[in-house]
This record gives sequence, structure tokens and C-alpha cells, in this order.
Amino acid sequence: MTDLPFIIWLDHEFAPGNPLLGGKFSNLAKMLAAGFSVPPGFGVSTAAYHHFMDQAGLEAEAASLLAAGHSMASADIKSKASDMVARIMSQPLPSDLETAIRRDYALLEERVGQKDVPVAVRSSGELEDLTGASFAGQYDTYLWIFGADSVLHHIRMCWASMFGDAALSYRGVVEDAGSRQDVGICAGIQQMVEARAAGVMFTLDPLNGDPSKVAIEACWGLGEGVVKGDIAPSHFTIDKVTFEVIKRQIVSQLKEYAFDTKTGAVGLIPLAAECQDNACISDKEAVNLAKLGKHIEQCQSASQDIEWAIDQQGDTKVLQVRPETVWSQRERSGLVSDVKSPVDHVLLRLSGVRVAKPPSEGGQP
Amino acid sequence: MAKKSLDEMTNPAVKGSSSSNKSFPNPFNVKTPVGAEGWEELYPYYYLLSPERREMEEGKFWFFDGVHNPEPLYPFDTIMTENWWVAASQMASRVWPIPVAMGIDQRLINGYIYVSPNGVTDPEQIAKRQEHFTRRAGHYFENWDEIYSEWAEKAKDCIGRLDKIKFQPLPDIEPEENVFSHRGIYSSHDLLSSYNRLIENMLEMGSYHFEMLNLGYGAYLTFREFCQQAFPGITDPTITQMVCGIDNLLLRPDDEVRRLATAAMELKVADVVLKYEQPDEMLAAMATAKGGGLWLEKFEAAKEPWFRFSTGVGYTHTDPVWIDDLRLPLMAMRNYIELLQRGEDISRPLASLLKKRDKVTKEYRALLPTDQDREAFDGLLGLTCKVFPYVEDHNFFVEHWHHSNFWSKVRELADVFVAHNFFDDREDLFFLHRHEIYDALYDLLTGWATGSQARGEVYWRPIVQRRRGVRDALAKWTPPPALGTPPSVITEPITIMLWGITEETVEEWLGVNPSADGDILRGVPAASGKATGLARIVKDSEDLYQIQDSEILICRIVAPSWAPVFSRIAAAVSDVGGIMAHSAIISREYGLPSVVGTGFATANIQTGDLVEVDGDAGTVRVLERAPG
Repeated sequence: MTDLPFIIWLDHEFAPGNPLLGGKFSNLAKMLAAGFSVPPGFGVSTAAYHHFMDQAGLEAEAASLLAAGHSMASADIKSKASDMVARIMSQPLPSDLETAIRRDYALLEERVGQKDVPVAVRSSGELEDLTGASFAGQYDTYLWIFGADSVLHHIRMCWASMFGDAALSYRGVVEDAGSRQDVGICAGIQQMVEARAAGVMFTLDPLNGDPSKVAIEACWGLGEGVVKGDIAPSHFTIDKVTFEVIKRQIVSQLKEYAFDTKTGAVGLIPLAAECQDNACISDKEAVNLAKLGKHIEQCQSASQDIEWAIDQQGDTKVLQVRPETVWSQRERSGLVSDVKSPVDHVLLRLSGVRVAKPPSEGGQP
Repeated sequence: MAKKSLDEMTNPAVKGSSSSNKSFPNPFNVKTPVGAEGWEELYPYYYLLSPERREMEEGKFWFFDGVHNPEPLYPFDTIMTENWWVAASQMASRVWPIPVAMGIDQRLINGYIYVSPNGVTDPEQIAKRQEHFTRRAGHYFENWDEIYSEWAEKAKDCIGRLDKIKFQPLPDIEPEENVFSHRGIYSSHDLLSSYNRLIENMLEMGSYHFEMLNLGYGAYLTFREFCQQAFPGITDPTITQMVCGIDNLLLRPDDEVRRLATAAMELKVADVVLKYEQPDEMLAAMATAKGGGLWLEKFEAAKEPWFRFSTGVGYTHTDPVWIDDLRLPLMAMRNYIELLQRGEDISRPLASLLKKRDKVTKEYRALLPTDQDREAFDGLLGLTCKVFPYVEDHNFFVEHWHHSNFWSKVRELADVFVAHNFFDDREDLFFLHRHEIYDALYDLLTGWATGSQARGEVYWRPIVQRRRGVRDALAKWTPPPALGTPPSVITEPITIMLWGITEETVEEWLGVNPSADGDILRGVPAASGKATGLARIVKDSEDLYQIQDSEILICRIVAPSWAPVFSRIAAAVSDVGGIMAHSAIISREYGLPSVVGTGFATANIQTGDLVEVDGDAGTVRVLERAPG
């Protein structure tokens, strides 16, 4: 077990696609390797997680909890799970692991030239890519964490998040998840992007699966509000071929997610008045995002769901990349049902019969 | 076919919607503007709303055709609209016949033209019509290229015969050769038959105009709908980009101007072109300049036929033609010379346009779901590209070349009336309907033949004066975009393609109060891009010379031949027009942000207002009103 690395930097040559980084982080490493702008950082690998669980004597119980999770949490399992969470939070970290994490956090401080550099600590689950299920929002992410002690604390919280109610029951609805009882989790540590605006984009139209569009949702500040859904985002639809802005719906925003100096944590704070009714990204930025999305999609050879942020300097960063899971798994039905000559198509059209079937309705895949 | 059965099979193409209680104004309730009382006398009886058919007239959906006739019609100019009333309609109703469409009806209301498409909804009739249609239209599509080259020959022949028609005042004594040749017919008969031939020639070209147009639009419409179903939200400029020839005859006049600018540089006479704003002065100076003779040769060669280019749609006699008013091409030429002197390239980037078109087409094609869809896409795109040269080029042959020459012949005839003391000014003729001209001409013959004063010498002047006042009053009125009963569905292909009338347009119009001082107008996005600038309202081509750099052109409709000012303006906005309107094609070629079919831009925006045009969203926003 100790042969496997506890820490893998995103820019390490073995990072791209490495299962030890979980789905999210191994994908981000791929993005970095492909030349996209990804905030610097490292993953505390699934090997590190297993090492901790093993040293703490929790592996067997964890496996039985994960196996039982899919049968939905009974009161008994709930109490066992909360007991598990408490123990993950309190058992001592193996000293080799703690030393490694402290050393590499210091290295990150050095690389970005900032003492106590604020980071995002993100859970990156092993199952994210394996099952075709997004696990979106099931594992926790902690923003604006700084100082090695706090980072260590939040790594434990990422590990513990595997045993939260939501994560356990989500496993229940994902086929095959229950059979993977040895599953681990990676905690990704990345420099925090001080976002001026952020959000998500899909490299297809999520309403109808149209692959000729990039759909962007954006808000002022950190993208947490868009991801969580408690901030109504502005919408942009961009033509993926011509990069025309086809739809632009600006939604006024009163508060933003940002680092609150009063509480020393990320929270919803009032948004500057001059921003409230204005677009958080310009058309040009929206088009550049669409170009970025198209490029990522080409690298990944599949439609993507991408989290992004634009920092105070106006640089765009890729925060998360995962395959789009709804439309990509449906077979796209054809438009024409009968083979006809083009002249016959036109003749029929002028007789009142359209070439193509009506477009598919949005809604349930 | 018996008349009765025709009426039974004809239903409005657009049926009244019962769910909506919104309605357009009743056409019978439209008020006559002050000073325009009695306007009806300018037009023939069959062009007016009739109380005898009130129920039918009210039940129809009438929309204003500002695409072709943004101004109230001159009585003579109705020959153009009357022509397509029959010529375009008969193709759909009787010639092909198009299964779902009959013709497009017309009425004049306060002198403005309103049109209403008739459709066929009875499935049995549609099936019967389809049998004819499939054979006939199939024949045209299968043999398109040959038929189009025959068409071009017919068009040129028709123009050639038009050019040979001559009008001259009647002689005091009949020339001797007409006696000794034993013709037995004389100048009087020649004048009358020349007039008849002139009218017939116009109606003949008018018939050619529509020989292939419905089918061309039909192919494009089919391809467009296919793209819209595959890629909801795909814009019209993008679809047109895949189809458009990057070169068409409508661009030739401007290309000639570019070539002449380049030649002026090479022959070192550019300064002569730049020095004189008045065409006559420039041409006189050129004749004496070194190298000027050679340039003038090139200039004369380029004029035929490329300066037979109307500054309007070609449907009204008031639109100056380049060849008669050289200010517009020379203004453009000065722009090009200035660009050349700054070392810029003025050639259109054909290769990169082609490359871009191919890239866009290839990428969309790859995004289609199945191979079968790609096959349909390829086939429809191929057919549409095949018909498109006709769709674009007919415009030069018909509206520019032929019609420009037609108006010039009509003025030759007007000079005969002036010479015989019927009018003081040749332009007065246009206040008479063509049937009234026939009467006036016969009147003139009687005066000449008998030696009495023709009644026309004392009859027409007061009528012309009254009609001019009426028309001036009508011109100040703003026609509402639609009247009558709102439709729930629109099926007629030309209505959709040419006028941009869709169910959404109708909804939009229903939601807009024309008298409201709205700060945002919506229209059809015709060419992408965004621009902000000061508005310049252009109501006729004379206003074009007022345009300042970077202004935003606001007009009833953009005429293709206004292209020379496009290099100075930031964007173009029109009240009327669809994606296939002659102007939209050119706007796209010039990459000018453009919104067409806004309905009310010239009524709601004033010269000097600060406006923002979004050619992607199809919106025009007034940011700041001009002071006062």
C-alpha cells in the first residue's frame, strides 16, 4: 500500500487519468496536460485515504457501510455512519501522511508566492467516471481554506463526506456502486480562484440535447451559487460552430458568494450596486468560454459539463470537467424517417409536409 | 375550372385565431389623413376595399408590404404591384400549382399596399393539386440549370426589345417615308402601339420574374426548416451563409466601382475623382486630364449594364438609378480611392469567405444525428445551392436592369405629353394610372388629328396638382404593419421567406402599440454583430447624402444599391423585410449588423437618437433621445 503515492501534483506526468486522483482531479490533470488553465494544486490520493482508514482500523466497517448504503439508510446504519464520521474526524493521522501533506502545502505556498495561500479542498470520488453518474454535489467542497492545520481538517471532512446521508443513498440509485465496497476518495487541494464571475457550461443545449450549442450559466462572484442553485444565474447560449451569441438572458443579482472578511469564510455577501443589473460576463467572455468548452469537448471526445471561473485579472480558469451524463447516454434519434430525393423533400414541403419530425421535447431523458 | 369551385377551394392561408382576443385594426376603420380626402381617385376600383365584400375583407389578415413599396404608391407605379398581384399569384395558384397556396391578394389603404396570402386547406384539393405540382415542379428542379440559362436569354431579349421602343412627339406633317412606303399606318398608331408594347413588355418581364422564384424559395425554405429542426436557434445569417453564392450579380455594380477606383490609381487620375463632388465637373475634368481618356473608356464600359442599378427596390419611378445619378457610385469610388491611398486592400476576401462557408457547413453536418440525416442535409443543401444563383441574380435582371430602363422609357413618353402641352413636367405623368394614360394618349391623338385643342391640355393639370397634395398627405401617415383578423398559422412559403412574416412576427405586432414611445424594438436578425451610434432616418435616397460616418441607418427598407454608404455606417435597421428580402442578402455580404422587419423604427426613432443595434438578438434599443 505504501508503494502508492499519497500525493500527486496536478502537473505530474502520471496525474492525467490516474485513478488515485478520483474522477474530478484526474480529469483536471488531463486538462492541465492539454494546456488549459487550471489552478495549481495536488491531490491527496485514494491511497492516502486507504492508508488513514487502515491505520485507524476503519476499513472493514467502511466497507460494510458502503455495501449497506444502497439499501437506504436505516436508523441503525445512520447511527453507524455518524459514528464513522466522528471517528474519521478524530483518529490521529499517520505521521508520514501528515508530514507529506504539510510539506506539499508549503510547496504550494512557495509556488504561488503566498503564505497561508487560500485553497479549495474538493472531494474527488473514484466512482465519478466509472459509472456514468455525475455524483454532482454529493461530495463536499470547501472553499477558501488556509493554513496547513485547516487544510488537514478539511481533508478529513472530504473523507467523511463519503458517509453522509446523501452520498450513501445516491450510491443506492447508481447501478453497480454497491458492489464497489473498497472505493476510496481523493481530496484535491487547489489554489483558490478569486472569482469575479463564475459558473458552469454544457457543451450541448441541456434543454433539448442540441449539440450545436454551448449553454452557459454565470453569476457574479464564486460559482457556488450556480452549482448549489441558490443564485439565479444569467444564461447565454452560444452557437458552437459560428460562435454567435444566440440567447442572452441577464438576471439581476443582489448577493454574491465571496470571502467574507468579517467571518473569515466564504458566504453570501451583498454585491456591489453597479454590478447588480449588469451582465457578469461580456459577450466576448461568453464566446471565449464557448470556444474553451468546444476545445475541451474535442479533447475529451464527448459532451462535457464544465465549471469555470474568471478571476479578478480576467483570466479564465477551468475548475472541473466531467462528461455530460443526460443527453450523452441517449441515442439521438434521426430527423428524417424516409430516404427521399431532395426534390421530393421540397415537393412534399410545398404540399404541407415537413422534412423533419418535430424537435424533441425537453424534460425527462 | 368553374368560378364557383374555385371559391370553394380557396381559404385564407391564414386562419383567424379564436383563442386570442387581440386583433389588428379593422381595415374599414382606418382613418384618412387630413388633406388626403378622396385619395381613392388615384387608384383603380379593383384596388380598394369594397363594402360589398366587407365580411371577406375584414376576415382576412392584411399586412403592409413595405418591403417593396415603403411609400404610398404613385398611380402609375401600381403597374409593378399589379403585375405581381397576377404574375406571382398565378404561379402558386394555377401554374404549378403549389398544393397549399393560392395567390397573394392586395388592397391599397391610404395609398399603401396591404397584402394577404390565400391558402388551400382542404386535404382533397391539396391532393389533387399535388399531382400536377409534382410533375411540373419536378421538371423545373430536375432541369434547373438549363431552364435558368434559357431564362437569362429571355430576360435579355425582353430588355433588348424594351430598349428599341421609342417615343417622340407627333410631327406637324407626317414624314414622307410613311406615305411612300404605303404603310397605311402613321405616327399616331405608332405612338399608341409603342405605349401598348411598353406596358406589355413590362408585364412580360414581370411574368418571367416569378417563373422560378416560388420554387427557388421553396427549396431554400425546406433546407432552412430542416436546419432549424436539427439545430433549434440556428440563425438565418448562418443558414444563408451555407447556401449563398459568395458572388452574385447584385455585387457586380459595387465590384465595378472598386475596379474603377483601382484603375484611377493606376492611371494616376485618382485626384481628379477626389477633387470634384459633382459628377459632371469630374467627368469634364477627366476628359482633359492625362490618362483620363483611358479611364473614361473603362468607366463607360462598366456602366452597361452595371450602372443600371436602382438606388431603391426598383419598384418605384422615384428611385434614382446610378446611370442617371452618378453621385452614389462616385461617392463610393472616392471612399475606395481613399482606402487605396492609405494602402488598404479593397478587394472582397472571396477565398476566406469560401473557406469560412465550407467550415461552417462541415461542422454542422458533422453534428447531425444519423447518416440518413446527413444524406438529407447534403441533398437539400445541394438543391438549394443550385437554385440560389437564380434567387439572387434575377433581382439584377428584373428590378435593376429591366425596370430601370422601363422607368426611363416612361419618362421618354412623359416628354411627349409635355411637348403636347398636357403637363408642365415629365414627372407629372406618374400621377396618372396606366389606364388613364391610355385615355390621355388617345385624347392627344384626337387633338393632333383634328387640329382642335385636346381636352387633356386643360383637363389634367388641376388633377395632377390635387393628387400631388393628396399623396404628400398620405406620405406623412405611418401605415400599421397589419390589419384585419390575426392568423394562427402561416403556411404560404413566399410570405415567410420574402416578408419574414411568421406566427412569431404576428404575435410581436399584436403586442406592440405603434403610438407608444417604446425604447426597444424587435425585428428579424438579418446580419450579426452589435453597434451603437447616432440614428440617421433615411426616407428617400436623397437623405443618403446626409449620412455621417458611423451613424446608424434607420429606414423603411435598405435598398441593395445603397451598398456604397455601407462602408460609412455602423449598422442598418429597417421597418420591413424578411431574411430573403433583397436588402438582407446584401447586408450580410457586407457584414453589417442589421435588424430588419422592426415594424416601427422610422416612426419611433428620430435622427440623432443614440441607438444600439444587436444583429444577433434582432433588437434595436434607444439609449438616449436626441435633444428637443
